[in-house]
Amino acid sequence: MDYVLTTDALTKQYKHFKALSGVSMHVPKGAIYGFVGKNGAGKTTLIRLICGLSNPDSGRYSLYGIDSRQKDIIKSRRRMGAVVETPSIYLNMTAEDNLKEQYRILRLPSFEEIPALLELVGLENTGKKKVKNFSLGMRQRLGIAVALAGDPDFLVLDEPVNGLDPQGIVEIRELILKLNREHQITVLISSHILDELSRLATHYGFIDSGQIVREISAKDLENACRKCIRLEVTDTKALARTMDHMKLEYNILSNTQADIYAKINITKLALALNDAHCEILSLQEHDESLESYYINLIGGAHHE
Amino acid sequence: MNRLLSANFTRLIKDKFFWIGMIFMSVMGIYMTVMRYISTKEYGIHISLDTGFFNYTLYAVIVLSVFASLFIGTEYSDGTIRNKIIIGHKRTDIYLTNLLVCIAAGFLICIAYIVPALIVGIPLLGFFEVEIQTILLTALCIFVMTIAFSAIFTMIAMLNQSKAAIAVISILGVFVLLFIGIYIQARLNEPETYDAYSYTVNGENVSVESEPNPYYIGGTKRDVYEFLYDFLPGCQAVKLSNMIVPNPINMSLYSVCIAAAATGFGLILFRKKDLK
Repeated sequence: MDYVLTTDALTKQYKHFKALSGVSMHVPKGAIYGFVGKNGAGKTTLIRLICGLSNPDSGRYSLYGIDSRQKDIIKSRRRMGAVVETPSIYLNMTAEDNLKEQYRILRLPSFEEIPALLELVGLENTGKKKVKNFSLGMRQRLGIAVALAGDPDFLVLDEPVNGLDPQGIVEIRELILKLNREHQITVLISSHILDELSRLATHYGFIDSGQIVREISAKDLENACRKCIRLEVTDTKALARTMDHMKLEYNILSNTQADIYAKINITKLALALNDAHCEILSLQEHDESLESYYINLIGGAHHE
Repeated sequence: MNRLLSANFTRLIKDKFFWIGMIFMSVMGIYMTVMRYISTKEYGIHISLDTGFFNYTLYAVIVLSVFASLFIGTEYSDGTIRNKIIIGHKRTDIYLTNLLVCIAAGFLICIAYIVPALIVGIPLLGFFEVEIQTILLTALCIFVMTIAFSAIFTMIAMLNQSKAAIAVISILGVFVLLFIGIYIQARLNEPETYDAYSYTVNGENVSVESEPNPYYIGGTKRDVYEFLYDFLPGCQAVKLSNMIVPNPINMSLYSVCIAAAATGFGLILFRKKDLK
């Protein structure tokens, strides 16, 4: 698999506080990578490191295969755009002037693409209105437009929906999906709003206390979170034969445990297993959301 | 670096505080000259164009401190310095670009005073009476001193991430430096002795002998004060505002040294700095 960003044992300490403690993560090309963690878990610190805003104490990362210790890392950063915490925009300028300023910094030959960029983020009608008079959602979208100047392949968004109203959240979500699907931009998005992330992300990385607790694809997470019936039986081989015979989707977890992804008639199942000489030891409905998955994961990490 | 320079100068041209500073200096240039002309008429005294012409040095450094703190401080308060780093600009380039813009702004702020003051002053007060070499030397020293002040303000602004803190430190700092300059000048101007004099009271002659001035600074302490008077940018500003340029080469060299030291120190810390 091609990775846009990989980090290897990144560590960052602020005086007596260890913000990152050996973080290793992998952002696949074309993904929307949901970076999940509570406040203070280390999300923004990691984003600052990969954006070059601060330097790691140890460990390394690579962007498009270029190691952070190589000089060319600066060049590879030209392929990325980022909005870290708050949008980086001049409040005393108009949206268009902000983009022109960014174009100058990038030394882009002309401003021709600016109207299209403003249209992409839905700010084409802001005219001479100064950014200081924009709503939070408009500022966030302009911040994304500034990050998109120069056509980056990789967009890093740190808490992009924080403080937005429901309409603003929907707009940002649709924009991110559009950028990913229509412009093939890989997105790393950090958030602690799990419901929102679950509508976007194709991959997840869970961080807690400066450590990556788990990386998982949305598909695997969906499987892990699917509504199912978890059975504890005496013989999972017999269970598998019975499930195949009954044409039910299932997943064997161990020699004694299995999940069945279907609404089943318990009596019929019990009788069928009895015929296969397999006893049901326990049975429970299993329904996990991203939120409960996260809570279980972080709780688990705390108890390890 | 050219890209950053182009972007920064474009922002400078559109910067509200820069233009307020420019207009203030222009108005001061006209106002001070006209006031001197009015004095010549009211009191019948002769005032030449060069009298008080370089007083603008003091206003210029104050205006520059305000401008630099707001111009660079905005990069932090609006977070736009992040854009430059994220897209791969070197920190050294970002720092030096801001320094160059501050130096250019400092020069323009000085010119904003000089040009209107000359345009109004020459018809009203006539041309400079002091040798033109002295005038040019003073102006040159002021420009070099502006570089030192720009380097100090840039260092303060680039190493602090709070716009308010940058403004307070820069503006207070410039006033402290100027007060130090005025104080040192006053102490160095103290006479070594109070002159002897005599007067007559009721036909009786009373004579007072000369006596040492307790405020006079002598010996090594005087050497130190004289060095500081040449070295410190605040002292230089006070001296140059009075067109006192006994050691122009030394003063300019000190300014260059201060600029280099402030920039070197600022760059080392800025390159390691964790940015929010």
